[in-house]
Amino acid sequence: MSKEHVYEVVKKVIMEVLPDVKLEQISIEKKLKEYGANSIDRMEIAAMSMEQLDLKIPLMSFAQVSNIEGLVDVLTENLVEAGSNKEI
Amino acid sequence: MLTTNKIGITGMGIVSSIGDDVSSFCNSLRMGESGIKKVACIKEPRASAVIAAELRKFSFLEFLDRFRNVPDEKLQTAKRLGQRAPFAIRTSIISAMEAWQNAQLFSNQPSPDRIGLIVAGQNSTQNYQYDLIPKFRENPEYLSPRYALEFLETNQVGTISELFGIKGEGFMVGGASASGNVGIIKGYQLVLSGLVDLCMVVGVVADLSPMDIQGFINIGAMGGKKYINQADKACRPFDTKHEGFIYGQASACVILESESSALKRGVHFQAEIKGCSLNLDSNSSSDPNINGETKAMLSALGKAGLSASDIDYLNTHGSSSPLGDKTESEAISQVFGNHSSDLWLNSTKGLTGHCLYSAGVVESIATIEQMKGGFLHPNKNLEEPIRKDLKFCGAEAIDHQINFAMSNSFGFGGINTSIVLKRGEN
Repeated sequence: MSKEHVYEVVKKVIMEVLPDVKLEQISIEKKLKEYGANSIDRMEIAAMSMEQLDLKIPLMSFAQVSNIEGLVDVLTENLVEAGSNKEI
Repeated sequence: MLTTNKIGITGMGIVSSIGDDVSSFCNSLRMGESGIKKVACIKEPRASAVIAAELRKFSFLEFLDRFRNVPDEKLQTAKRLGQRAPFAIRTSIISAMEAWQNAQLFSNQPSPDRIGLIVAGQNSTQNYQYDLIPKFRENPEYLSPRYALEFLETNQVGTISELFGIKGEGFMVGGASASGNVGIIKGYQLVLSGLVDLCMVVGVVADLSPMDIQGFINIGAMGGKKYINQADKACRPFDTKHEGFIYGQASACVILESESSALKRGVHFQAEIKGCSLNLDSNSSSDPNINGETKAMLSALGKAGLSASDIDYLNTHGSSSPLGDKTESEAISQVFGNHSSDLWLNSTKGLTGHCLYSAGVVESIATIEQMKGGFLHPNKNLEEPIRKDLKFCGAEAIDHQINFAMSNSFGFGGINTSIVLKRGEN
């Protein structure tokens, strides 16, 4: 699964958790905090993205993440490691 | 500055099966409209209770959109806090918003440190948890991190205090079916003690899981069998064909305020709390106790400095439970003696169902609306009263001026409460 696909999934989850955020406002280098997400919202975005991607890793894996790209990267890397890297 | 110990209600809000706000609720009371219907959606496993007064029209965003003249920033905060919150919190937000606005607190608020918050209810997350269990068993990893906040019912306290900027004392109280009255009593005491100038009391909707409903059926407390095909006839407080309570849903909120604070803010008492009482039977079971109920009513009268003959109207606990109705009617007869034949009685539960945790707050609002409007709502489905010597309201509303009223709530575990209210000046 490509990083682009993961990013698409993450964007949808961001809009679900933060209903005031529009698709065109989201950019990968931004921090979730900049969109008004508190720490619980950020954890929820990580957990919901994992669920959408059928990936199970400890939420602590996202501890060092500083922006949306970091979140997308951790998800993508773990998807590759989990061997669920299905080409689309 | 006036220094009295008077405490009154300066704001009210409600979301119920018979009204989305206080004015539509009041209208339904007058019309004797029942919210009890066949349950719209039955979960698996199919519990045998198929009759209830549900909040079937409730939509958080739509209800929020109806508020006018509320600061946009508050509406946005409410939306953010409620949009992903469980049903019980969403309904609390809506009733609390109405009460806050009704008390003119959006425009004229005392210091946040002088405002208290009591959320009356217990086990408010049962159905929310029940719904999550199948998914959790499958994939525990995907449990929302928000769950750690939301399974604690104090999430209600956190959410509502954030919405309104409340920074005084705040906590949850539970008292089974008397929770609402316990909340009002504790709020009254908080204002009386001077710890706060005003206190918001929110009665939480009972969001029962199928397991909770089955529990109430199995213990023999829930009715609805005889009138399974005539839902609006199933709840029959004080009628010989009563057979148990009918489940109702409502969230209700009142603002309690000291007289000096109300004067300072230029708001009036819609009713004054003259006295209230809470006492236990020292009983772990579900059976009511005539002595405990009598004591609650007498003690509330004593604290109000009134005699039994001063009370014009009693909003009964009247849950449509055969033993409960019998015990309460005997206790009323004992407390009011000769005055019993002049004392008007009705039960709001005949219209709203038994709203359990919020029932006390729902019924205080019903009492106050009847006082303000000078009427008594019908005692639905009372065809053959269990006692002929008490003055029950009939099938139609009647005009009646109430100066002093009493409202009873009794709960499992021998919890007895009674509140005495005086009609407001305006």
